[in-house]
Amino acid sequence: MTETLPTVFDEIFALLTPESIFRDARATGEGVAVAVIDSGVERSVLEEKFRGAGTPILTIEGAVFRPTGPALPYTGHQSSPHGTTVADIILTLAPRVKLYSGDVFGPTGSCEVETVIAALRHAIDVWNVKVVNLSLGVPEHKLQQLPRRQQLQRAIEEAYFRDVLVFAAAHNEHPLTRSYPAAFAPPLISVDKGLFDDPLRFAYKLREQVEFQAHGKGYLGPLAREPATSWATPHLAGIAARILSLKPDLKPFEIKTILYWLFRSADGARVI
Amino acid sequence: MTDTVLIVDDEESVRRTFQEWLASALPGARVFAVPDAESALRVANANAVDLAVLDWNLGSGSDGLRLLEDLVEFRPDVVAILVTGFAHQATPLDALRMGVRDYLDKNQDLNRDTFVSAVRRQLDRIRPSKQQRELNRRLAAFREAVDKVLPIVQTSAAFNDPVPLPEAVKSLLRFVIRGTKAADGALIVRHTTADGAESTTAYGSDGETLPTPTIPFGRSLAASVISFQEPVALNDFDPKTLGPVELLPFEANRSCILAATLPVGSETVVVVELFDKAAPGFTDEDRRLLSSAAEVGADLLRQAVAERQTHKLLFDAVDAALEATTNLSEAMPASPPDDSPPPAVIERLKEGLSSDSNAVADADTTLRLVEAVRTLALKHGPSAVDHCIRVVNNLRKLLDELTGVN
Repeated sequence: MTETLPTVFDEIFALLTPESIFRDARATGEGVAVAVIDSGVERSVLEEKFRGAGTPILTIEGAVFRPTGPALPYTGHQSSPHGTTVADIILTLAPRVKLYSGDVFGPTGSCEVETVIAALRHAIDVWNVKVVNLSLGVPEHKLQQLPRRQQLQRAIEEAYFRDVLVFAAAHNEHPLTRSYPAAFAPPLISVDKGLFDDPLRFAYKLREQVEFQAHGKGYLGPLAREPATSWATPHLAGIAARILSLKPDLKPFEIKTILYWLFRSADGARVI
Repeated sequence: MTDTVLIVDDEESVRRTFQEWLASALPGARVFAVPDAESALRVANANAVDLAVLDWNLGSGSDGLRLLEDLVEFRPDVVAILVTGFAHQATPLDALRMGVRDYLDKNQDLNRDTFVSAVRRQLDRIRPSKQQRELNRRLAAFREAVDKVLPIVQTSAAFNDPVPLPEAVKSLLRFVIRGTKAADGALIVRHTTADGAESTTAYGSDGETLPTPTIPFGRSLAASVISFQEPVALNDFDPKTLGPVELLPFEANRSCILAATLPVGSETVVVVELFDKAAPGFTDEDRRLLSSAAEVGADLLRQAVAERQTHKLLFDAVDAALEATTNLSEAMPASPPDDSPPPAVIERLKEGLSSDSNAVADADTTLRLVEAVRTLALKHGPSAVDHCIRVVNNLRKLLDELTGVN
């Protein structure tokens, strides 16, 4: 019986473990800019929470995007609590990130594709973020017009070619309708929800339009305990921010590969 | 949801034994026991039978399988357990096709335990689809009721005030509260006008307006709910973990909350909230019910809101016309008075009426009638209008008699 000799990959695997990455004291999100394109962020609530926890956060900045006109100044308020819960998850995992709030929803809980695209471009061009969190879904019927779909896809691809990582919530629960932008999976990272005993755990679950599964429960607000892809997405974005604070110049495909290796080396994260 | 079991066996002792076994093992179930096919069909005609326990040999040349064929006519979803002393004679494929899901052999191991467990197994298996059917039936009834009431809403709205929003709210809340067994409910309506003005109104389960202190809508629980595409249940509701959310007074001190968004329109956000269902709280079935009811309810509310908007258009048209008339009279004070409304008024009124696509009369007819009555009142006073109403009523009676319409 011949013994299989270890390859260079085995050596890399041995080095890339969740313990070696996430327990590194420098893995705090420091130096990483993250955009939360959502329903706005209630700044004072998060500042107070993290100050109370002994991990004060950097000042959250942002802008408000509406269907027409230029971006409006961010006043530190949310249009609805969803965005604050999302931002809280990222800050819980990576408290030293520089967070930007792109409020696209307004009080009605919905927005046009063009507004999301404008916010995405603003995050890349003006805020120079490395990570974008999209805990939102655009239903297929809103992208029936091919040019609209192409515009959204082009914006996502632009992010990829600018080394910006986009995390998008997968299909937002709907059993039949494809949901975008998560359906543009290859240039971004689509995230489904799972329940894990550690919020730093996640799983690589390749299937149509979905690659990863992360912890689906949040921490702030009455609906945070309701399992949702909206909460899973910022968990993986926060994990990526921690990795990026150790090596800021990683490219989207490198991050994706590292996430995959971390999952494998953890011997298959336990999914409850 | 009560399970209904029908036992058909020509032997009285067998029927009695089966009935006793089920009465003790499934006290919540309704059990009918009859000796022959005719009685069985009579029971099935009057009751929604879920499971039939049929004797293979019913005597007089009748058999359980043939009876099942007839039972399916009354109750297409009925499933059956066939009790036979001749299992080898059964025709499994035909039987399966007709709804037989299990066999019990009288000559082998037929005792209380095997019988009760076979019945229980089948009832458990069909329960989800039965619940779904029940849900669909209730929704269909609710939709039918809405469909019936909408034309009345529209007809009355054509000449009078629209049916007020609280009435629409009351019927919707009553339906979902009854369906989910919630203790209470509320409906939060957030409206943004074209000029950006925002207002939030909350209604209770009786259609009454609830107090809504000046909490920014963006910090409300309702604003959280609209971010979810599906109903959300808070069965372990902990007021200490509110974070960026502030509760309205009627949401405070609730043990559990089930909430969903009603897709009414781009300018109007409506959230329905149900409260305090007894432990263990709201279930997935409640979520499904609320999700389906939200779609139907959205139709109802959309209509109520649209009626209001139609009337808003009419009021706007009258305002604009009054303004135009004032300017005209200032410009030409010597002009003789004109009894007819200015053309601009008529056009704006037509525009308003035409925006109601479901109106029973077209805009021209409606306006001609209104104008005729207005002119009558102007020239001859209210008694002439009363006489006009009597003439209209007499005409209606005459036409009813001639056409046979009641």
